[in-house]
Amino acid sequence: MELSASDPILMPALLFTLILFPFLAAFGAYLAVSDRLLKVIIVVTGVALVTASLVLSAQVPFSFALSPDGPIAFRAVIEVADFALLSLIFYFGWKHRHPTIMALAALQGVLLLYVQFLLSEGQAHWPVFYGDNLALIMIFIISVVGSIICFQALDYMKAHEQHQGLDRSRRSRFFSIMVLFLGAMNGLVLANDMAFFYFFFEVTTLCSFLLIAHDRTPVAVSNALRALWMNCLGGAAFTVAMTGVALHVNSLDLSRLTSAGPADGVLLPALAFLGLAAFTKAAQFPFQSWLLGAMVAPTPVSALLHSSTMVKVGVYLVFRMAPAIRGTFLSHCLAVFGGFGFLAAAALAVGQSNGKKVLAYSTISNLGLMIACAGLNTSAALTAGVLLILFHAVNKALLFLCVGTIEQRIASRDIEDMRGLYTIMPVTALMTVFGVIMMIMPPFGLMLGKWMAMEAAATNLFVIVMVTLGSALTVMYWARWAGILMSDPFAGRFTPERQPWPTWTALGCLCLGGGILSVAAPWLYSLWFTRALSPGYEPPYGVHGGILENAVGAFAVWPLAGVAAVGFVLAVVAVYRAGGARIVKPYVSGLQTDTPGVFTGPLNQPVQARASNYYLSSLFGESRLTVWFNLAAVALLGLILGGAL
Amino acid sequence: MNEGLLVAGFALVGAPLLGGLITGADRIITARLQARIGPPLIQPFYDVAKLLGKEQIAVNVWQVFGACAYLMASAIAVVLLALRTDLLVILFTQAVGSVFLVVGALASASPYSQVGAHRELLQVLCYEPLLILVAVGVYLHVGSFKVSDILAWQTPLLSKLPFLFLALGCVLTIKLRKSPFDLSTSHHGHQEIVKGLLTDYSGPILAFAEIGHWLETVLLLGLCALFWTTHWLGMILLAGATFALQILIDNVSSRMNWRWMLGYVWAVGLSLSVVNLVWVQAR
Repeated sequence: MELSASDPILMPALLFTLILFPFLAAFGAYLAVSDRLLKVIIVVTGVALVTASLVLSAQVPFSFALSPDGPIAFRAVIEVADFALLSLIFYFGWKHRHPTIMALAALQGVLLLYVQFLLSEGQAHWPVFYGDNLALIMIFIISVVGSIICFQALDYMKAHEQHQGLDRSRRSRFFSIMVLFLGAMNGLVLANDMAFFYFFFEVTTLCSFLLIAHDRTPVAVSNALRALWMNCLGGAAFTVAMTGVALHVNSLDLSRLTSAGPADGVLLPALAFLGLAAFTKAAQFPFQSWLLGAMVAPTPVSALLHSSTMVKVGVYLVFRMAPAIRGTFLSHCLAVFGGFGFLAAAALAVGQSNGKKVLAYSTISNLGLMIACAGLNTSAALTAGVLLILFHAVNKALLFLCVGTIEQRIASRDIEDMRGLYTIMPVTALMTVFGVIMMIMPPFGLMLGKWMAMEAAATNLFVIVMVTLGSALTVMYWARWAGILMSDPFAGRFTPERQPWPTWTALGCLCLGGGILSVAAPWLYSLWFTRALSPGYEPPYGVHGGILENAVGAFAVWPLAGVAAVGFVLAVVAVYRAGGARIVKPYVSGLQTDTPGVFTGPLNQPVQARASNYYLSSLFGESRLTVWFNLAAVALLGLILGGAL
Repeated sequence: MNEGLLVAGFALVGAPLLGGLITGADRIITARLQARIGPPLIQPFYDVAKLLGKEQIAVNVWQVFGACAYLMASAIAVVLLALRTDLLVILFTQAVGSVFLVVGALASASPYSQVGAHRELLQVLCYEPLLILVAVGVYLHVGSFKVSDILAWQTPLLSKLPFLFLALGCVLTIKLRKSPFDLSTSHHGHQEIVKGLLTDYSGPILAFAEIGHWLETVLLLGLCALFWTTHWLGMILLAGATFALQILIDNVSSRMNWRWMLGYVWAVGLSLSVVNLVWVQAR
C-alpha cells in the first residue's frame, strides 16, 4: 500500500488535535469552575475533534515517525507513563484491598521491564503512528459519536446530580475523564508502536474504572473493581503478547506484524494473547460481567463505553491482527468464538426485562458478530465487520441516550414500566422505536452489515448456524420492546414532551445520522472500503446505482430505501387518516368499565386485565444459562490459546 | 428497467389474486375433509371486500401503522422474489413484515392480543433460522444467493436438498398458521386466546393483515417452487403438493404449546438443515 508522504506540519498538528488536545481539555475541564466554562470546553473539544477527523480523511493512509532528536523524547515519556499508570492501578488495587488487581499490575510491570530490556536502545525507529481507512472510520466514530454523547451529558449530569443531592458538584471530574477517554481512544486507534498502544489501552481501562465508580455507591465501586481486574487481565495478556513479539521480531511495530502475512512460530501464540486482550475489552464471554456491571454508571458513560469507545478497542484490535492470522487455525477459532458470543448474548438478552441489560447483552452479541467477521477473514467478512462497527456505534449511542432520557422521566429502566411510553414521551418513544428499527430492519446499515456477514459466513457451518439462531433471538428481544413503547392507552393528540435542547440535538443528530449513513452506505463503501482495508483483501462488492453486488448476492440499498420510504409515507398517511377513526377499548372478554384495562368480572367485581412480556426465564434466564455459557467460552478460549501454541 | 417495473406491477396485482384463490381452495378442501361443502372459491375476496368497507375502529393508531407496514413489507418481499434478487434480502424483508404485525398487536393492551403477539415472536424464533439455513443450503449448492441464478440451475434442487425442503415444509406450517403450530392466532376461533395476535385488528386493517397473509403464502410457496426450477410444471406440482400436505397436516393434528414447538422445530428442523448442509458441503 502506498503511504502518502505525511505533511511535516499538518500531520503533527492533526495528531496533536486528535490525541493531545483532549488530554489538555480534560485538564481544563477538571479545573473548570462554572457550567458555562465546562460547556465551552466540551463544545470546543468536539468541534476540534470532528474538524481534525475530517481533515485526516484526506491524509490516509499515512505513517508517522517521531524524529529521535526532536524537542521532546515522546518515547521515553510514554515508557515512563506506562509505569506511572501501572503504579496508579496498583494503588487502586491496594486501596480497595484487591489482590488480583495488584498481582496483575505487578505482572504487567515486570513484563514491561523485560520488554524494555529485550529491545536495545536506538532501535526504536519504526513509525509511532499509522493510519488506514479502518483507523479513519474509528476516528470518525470516536470523534463524532463520542462528542455527541459528551454534549448530551451536560444536561443529563446536571439532572443526575440534582437527583443525587450532592453538596458539591463532581461534574468537572466526570467530564474531565470523559474527554480524556476520547483522546486515549484516538491515540490507541492511531498507535503503531505497541508501547504507545499499550499506554492508551491502559488509559481506557483506568478511565472506565473511574467512570463506572463515579457515583461512589458500594455497588458502583465493586462493579468498577470488577471492570478493573478483568481489563487488567486483558492488559496482562497484551504485555505477554508484546513480550512474544519483541522476542520474535525484536520490534514493537504493529504494522510490520500484520503486513508480513500469515504468522507462524512464536508469533502465533503472541497473537492469540492479543486476541485474549481484545476479548476482555470487548466483554466477550466469560468476561461479559464487567460490561453488565458498568450499567450502574450514569447513562452517558454506558453510551460511551458501548458505542464509540472501550468495547470497540477489542474489536479494533482483532481487526488489526486479522491479516496476520489469515488462513490459520487461530482465525477459524476466532470465528467460532465470535459466533458463539453472538448467539449466547442474544439468548441472554431475551431473558431480560431491564432495558439497560438488554442493551448491554445486545452490545456483547453484536461485538461477537464483529469478532466472527474478523475470524472469517475474507474481504467480504471484514467489510461486513467494519460496517457493523460503524452502524452499531451510532445506533447504540442513540438507544442508550434514549433509555437515559426515559429513565430520568419515569425513574425506571425496566421495559415493563415503558408500556405506553408514547403517551407521556411521544418523541423519545418514537426515536427509541426508530433506533430499534435501525437495529433489525433493512435497508438500514446494521442489516446491510449483517447481510454481508451472513453471506460471508455461509461456508462456515458452525458460524452460520449460530448466527442464524442468534439473529432470530435478536429480532425477538427488539420487536417486543418497540411494540410495548407504542402500547395503550391511546394518546389522542400528539404533544411533544419538553427536554433541554442539547438532548434533542444529540438524539436528533444520532437519528438523522443513522438514517443518512444507511442511505449513504454504497457511497461510503466506494469511498473507504474499495481502497482495501488491508493489502491482500480485494474489494468484495461492486457498486452501481446504489446497489452492492457481486457474483454471490446483491443488496439494493437505494432501491430498497426508496421503496421503504414510500411504504413508510403510505403507512403514516394511513395513520393520519385513522386519526378520525373511532377509538375503542382493547378487548378484554368482559364488560368494559370507564377505567382503562378494567372489566367487570364475576359478582360484579372490577378486574384489572394485565399482560406482560414473555421473558422465558426458565429457558433464557441468567441464572440458568450464564454458568454454561461461561464454561463453553472458557473451553473455546482454551482452544484458541492451546491451538496457537 | 422497464421490464423490471412490468414484472413488479404484475407481481403486485397477481400475487394477492393468487393468494386469495389459494386461500379459497384451502377452505374448500378443508371443508371437504370435514364433510362440509364449504364456501365458494372466491369467498376470501368477498370477506376482504366486506372488511374494507367497514368503519375503521382501532384501539390505537399504531395498530394501523403496524398493519399497513406488514402489508407493504409482504408486498415488497413478493416483488423482490419476482425480480429474482438476493434470497437473503427477500427473507429479511419478509421478517420486517412479521415484526410490524407484532408491533401492531402489542399496541393494544388486551391480554389476548399481547399473548398472541409474544407467541408470534416465538414462531418467528422457530422458523426464521430455518428459512435462512434453507437459503444458505441453496447457496452452497448453486453458488449464489440470487434467485436468477437459482432459476438458471440445470437440475432440480430437491434432489440435493431434500432435508432442507422438509425443513421449509415445517416453516410453511408455522407461517400458514396451520396446526400444530397455530399458536398466535388460534385460527379455529374462540379458543383460550380468542384470536390472539389479530384480536384487536378489525375492519380495513384486518383486511390489510389478511392480504398481507395471502402475499406471504405466495412468497413461501414461491420458495418451495424454487426447489424444482427445471420445468414450470414441476414448480407448480411441487408447490401444490406441499400446500395440499399442509392442509392435510392441519386437519389431522391438534394445536400444541410453544414449548413443544420450540423444542420440536429447533431439534428436528435444525437437525434436518444441518445434515443437509453437511451433505452439500461434503460433496
